[in-house]
Amino acid sequence: MSFAIETDGLSKSYGPVRAVDSVNLRVGPGEIYGFLGLNGAGKTTTIRALLGMIRPNAGAVKVLGQAVGPNGRGPWRQVGHLVERPAAYPELSVRENLEIARHLQGIADRSATSLVIERLGLASYADRKAGALSTGNLQRLGLARALLHEPELLILDEPANGLDPAGVVEIRELLASLAHEKGVTVFMSSHILTEVEGHATRIGIIHKGRLIEELEAEELDGLRSRRLEIKARNLEAAQDTLAKAGFAVKASENTLYLSEARAIDAPDEVATILVNAGTPPIRLAVEQENLEDHFLRLTGEKE
Amino acid sequence: MNAFLAAFWAETLKARRSKVSLLTFAGFSILPLVGGLFMIILRDPERARAMGLISVKAQLFTAGVADWPTYFDILLQGMAIGGAIVFALITAWVFGREFSDHTVKELLALPTPRGIIVGAKFVLTALWMLGLSLLIFVIGLAIGAAVDIPDWSLKLGWTSFRSLMTTALLTIMLMPFVAWFASVGRGYLPPLGWAILTLVLAQVAGILGWGDWFPWSVPVLFSGMAGPPAEQVGVHSYIVVLLTFIAGMVATFAWWRSADQAR
Repeated sequence: MSFAIETDGLSKSYGPVRAVDSVNLRVGPGEIYGFLGLNGAGKTTTIRALLGMIRPNAGAVKVLGQAVGPNGRGPWRQVGHLVERPAAYPELSVRENLEIARHLQGIADRSATSLVIERLGLASYADRKAGALSTGNLQRLGLARALLHEPELLILDEPANGLDPAGVVEIRELLASLAHEKGVTVFMSSHILTEVEGHATRIGIIHKGRLIEELEAEELDGLRSRRLEIKARNLEAAQDTLAKAGFAVKASENTLYLSEARAIDAPDEVATILVNAGTPPIRLAVEQENLEDHFLRLTGEKE
Repeated sequence: MNAFLAAFWAETLKARRSKVSLLTFAGFSILPLVGGLFMIILRDPERARAMGLISVKAQLFTAGVADWPTYFDILLQGMAIGGAIVFALITAWVFGREFSDHTVKELLALPTPRGIIVGAKFVLTALWMLGLSLLIFVIGLAIGAAVDIPDWSLKLGWTSFRSLMTTALLTIMLMPFVAWFASVGRGYLPPLGWAILTLVLAQVAGILGWGDWFPWSVPVLFSGMAGPPAEQVGVHSYIVVLLTFIAGMVATFAWWRSADQAR
């Protein structure tokens, strides 16, 4: 199978700091790949290596089947990118910034600029200087530049940054439609986990430079831990009752948690035990860990 | 679409929209204006005396002669010093702005090769600087004619034009290192610091008598600021300027092609 993105043992160090450590990525055509990591985990360094902006100390990078770098070599006509915060020439208008990108992309069709301005909802800002744009609109300009040449592959670093909630939904839907309707591959890093959770087909988690987990979206359900959450008016008595019944009970200030399968699979039995002991539950629910919890547990930021 | 023309178009658009083009023109056009003012003062000694310090300074500078050769000397020597500063500003802006505005990352992964973009930047800066020099000469002629300076000849005009453009060209050939400092230093301050340092070192080299071997002294020596140019500037001087130009170009292209762009 040919991959849209393929890295083998990708490593990059800055002095003693190992920013990216032996990362092996495989992103198939048409996938939406969510690349998750804390600040400083190595997301942007990986993205810069994918785009040939930095030279890896070890390993190889292939994009759309072509080896990347040195000397900026790569299939860039087919790749749209957005790296870190979007930048634009402040004294040039939105349209002029995109015209520069159109020229450098070698696109002869002049209508490409107007089309992408419409598509990204920038029509009313087209003649405004980029220096006077809000963060959200600057982000839209960055995305417009990435989409201008209708690339096969989008490499986006935090694409939802600075967008308002409506903008986040809009961009999410735009990326999803590009993937589903035009088969565009999307590789996006994000710190908004629900953003990735909603529509990524695959998720990679990078931590301290290492790709510590990679999973299909469907696998996520199976991997997320579940637990039974119990609230009662007399929490201490309820905890004693459950402990006496042989459950390993964890407690927070106002909730009890049971993680064993016999509790999760049969919450009615747990309720019966509590009712019989005179401490009936006022809330009983099986909760599934969300991606955020899973991510934090995996990276050791949360127990 | 031709990749170079596309990159060059992009660079000219940035320059046209920037205030820097206007500022460099305004800054440089002071030169013929000041030259013209000196001529007005020197042509009328009564007025010169009445103006106190300014007239004393003007007489010191030009030995009190108000004619076309003196006027062209002022332009030429102003070009040697002013050119080094204004040209360095232009180069620092064209290259350094991509780092100050964080737009460099938009220039690295494109179908247009990086070398073409750097080449377009160099061509734009060279044309900009030559254009400014030409404009200064034309404005200088107009001001000279308006002030009605004596002793004009077509031969003098042509010789002065050649000297002015040669001084400009020699100065332009020292700019690739300014571009390299703007790239490596990722902004405006390192290249401007470098330009000031080379101005100082050029003075030192001149004082030590090694100016003809020190590339950054050559335009000043050629302009006649430190005495008759023919006696000091030789073929070896042009060769060191040429070598500096080549080294600066190679260093800048190599850096853009292969340096890590991690910021």
